[in-house]
Amino acid sequence: MTLERSRRQFLRHTVAASAGILVAAQLPRPLAFAAALRSTEPETLSVAEWSALEAMTAQIIPTDHQPGAREANCVNFIDKALANEDAVALPLYRGGLAAIDAFCQTRYAATFVKLPASDQQAVLSSLEKNTLEGWPLGPEAPPAMFFETLRIHTVIGFLAAPAYGGNAQFSGWQVAGYPGSEHHSGGYTRGQVEGVEEIVPVWERDHRGH
Amino acid sequence: MSAKQEVYDVCVIGTGAGGGVMIDQLTAAGLNVVALERGPQISPGDFDEDELKIIIRRKLFAPDKIDAYRPDEHSPTEYGNIAEIVHGVGGSITHWGAWAWRFRPDEFRELSVEGSVPGASLADWPIGYEDMEPYYQQAEADFGVAGQAGSNPFEAKRSQPYPNPPHPWRPSSRRFASGARKLGYQPFPLPVAINSRVYGNRPGCINGGACRAHGCPIHAKASTLSVSLPRALMTGKLDLRANAAVYELPVDKNGRLTGARYIDGSGEQQEVRAKHVIVAAGSLGTAQLLLLSRSGQFPDGLANGSGEVGRNLTFHHFPVVAATFDEDLRTYTGIESLVAIDDLHPSNPKRGFIRGGVIAESNVASNQPVIFGAVLQSQSPGARWGAGFKDKLREFPRTMLFSSICEELPMSSSRVDLDPEKKDGFGLYVPRVTKKQHENDVLMHRYFQKKLKDLAEAAGAEKTLVLDVPGATIGDDMHQKGSTHNHGTCRMGNDPKSSVVNKWCQSHEVPNLWITDASVFPTAGGYNPTLTILANAYRVADHFLAEMRRQSL
Repeated sequence: MTLERSRRQFLRHTVAASAGILVAAQLPRPLAFAAALRSTEPETLSVAEWSALEAMTAQIIPTDHQPGAREANCVNFIDKALANEDAVALPLYRGGLAAIDAFCQTRYAATFVKLPASDQQAVLSSLEKNTLEGWPLGPEAPPAMFFETLRIHTVIGFLAAPAYGGNAQFSGWQVAGYPGSEHHSGGYTRGQVEGVEEIVPVWERDHRGH
Repeated sequence: MSAKQEVYDVCVIGTGAGGGVMIDQLTAAGLNVVALERGPQISPGDFDEDELKIIIRRKLFAPDKIDAYRPDEHSPTEYGNIAEIVHGVGGSITHWGAWAWRFRPDEFRELSVEGSVPGASLADWPIGYEDMEPYYQQAEADFGVAGQAGSNPFEAKRSQPYPNPPHPWRPSSRRFASGARKLGYQPFPLPVAINSRVYGNRPGCINGGACRAHGCPIHAKASTLSVSLPRALMTGKLDLRANAAVYELPVDKNGRLTGARYIDGSGEQQEVRAKHVIVAAGSLGTAQLLLLSRSGQFPDGLANGSGEVGRNLTFHHFPVVAATFDEDLRTYTGIESLVAIDDLHPSNPKRGFIRGGVIAESNVASNQPVIFGAVLQSQSPGARWGAGFKDKLREFPRTMLFSSICEELPMSSSRVDLDPEKKDGFGLYVPRVTKKQHENDVLMHRYFQKKLKDLAEAAGAEKTLVLDVPGATIGDDMHQKGSTHNHGTCRMGNDPKSSVVNKWCQSHEVPNLWITDASVFPTAGGYNPTLTILANAYRVADHFLAEMRRQSL
């Protein structure tokens, strides 16, 4: 029996497992966590990429009477993830964002961020349906993969703990009505479980932030 | 670490439910035990509630695990981290939902009750409920099960009440119960091995909400990590070795095991010597180890003269309906499930299938926001982005799950063998699952899906969704590829030709080899398996020690 125990082998498995659409679910771990705590400035994205991506996230979870992905700073979540554990998805984002802006210039003579909401939605729709023209990334990374990666990253950035860089001021949890994680801070009383006692959500408390 | 010359009384492989109880009981009796666990040491300090890290990407409990699956031998094998099981000290009971059932008497004698079923390999257990009752009692006492004796009209007769009272119900529990009563069912507090008060030197539950699939940071949830292993370590009789992947159980010329060979955390080969070896590495891991241990005496794998090692693998299937109501259900507080019905559990061939399962309230996918938004609501019909999707996120506090644990029929063709190509990080060939659903499973699944939907509607749901996703759904061409519930592969039975171990879970062929995980289950039952694994291990430990005292081992 061969008894090789190689870190490289582990890495190969990990990369294989995260290939394709699963890139979307390759979630940040404490490295991105730490990066997000250090900075909300772009670490991987250019200013233009950041703006375009921010506008896209704002269509995935739009702002209404409550905060959306823009207020939650989902783009920062994605930037930090791409700087760390999700670095494998960076070429997909880079190539995709460039292709989308090229498409928008041809079709609308403007970049994505300058488009009215209805046109932005039409562009995202054609990504989702794999019908966007002139996509340069090849069959391994079709427009729908870009869209699904963006979509799932936005949703996760909106709802994951703020320390990951999104869900700013617990905005995602406010929308979902999730009052906060209590496992390490006393839990819930019997009355709160039974629904007869009020639960003060984390965003209405003084200084919490896990 | 160099190989020690010491000969231990017992080597236990695996530290989960089946191994942990043996370690505890044998060290308490004064035996010297070495325990080998393939995963790392993990502790409550690792148990945050980070659902991204732990649930979605499984970065804590078995990050490097490779599962191999194919529906039949003509299909290509797919690889991935499929089964949500734990490689680490404490095993998979660490992140269980702690549903703690006693099997019903008929679940120990399914062949007698049902007769032979085409395509299935039903079998009676070589033991009955009456053999298990005292050990169910012991397991409930040690693991602090909270429940209400007599509240489940379908429950088997018990000699003692539960050691702890039921947990408080949340609005979702009351909704479930009211819907059940409307349909003439008899809801009852679901028995759970989670402290409802201070008990056994462990605190009461604080209702944090991130329970199933997480470790308990305060040990209110019972596990071998919180109950059995600390006690065993205190005896001074336990040598617990983490990151120890056993790759061979060597035999001497008399056909007895001499101990175990493993690869340690730095990739070095090690060997321990022991008078007895108890394997409890899970249905996949136990079969894998026996099949890896080929020798001149056992060319087809250790203790596999019958050819039955790896066969009759069963999971459960899990029909699930998500339901949204008009009130805050508080499913983000408390444990996974508080109330159940067993009315649809007893076998009834008039339904078009045999066997059944239990139905319960659940907060899986409705207790934490990422899994709700990125999994449940991303798969539900309607908008996947934009204003409509945002409205779906707002359903979080008003959504609960109606779920069931349904029995699968065993099949000889459902099996674990060694993958011919893929190796894990230790260089060991990974266990390969070849498995399809029996037609009976699919018929039962559809029936339960409909009943769950009826139940949710009777409870007043505004909206229901029968989950139709791989893992939650089976069908004619949708098979389960892996599960947290793994049973079979080393059946216990009286006949050495058709089983791997005897009624004491001792190998028919190798007298100092014992197996105490759910590998020995001939059939899966319609309940979560863990209390039965625990109870069976207490039973085997009792026998083992009695025989040892008689010096016949």
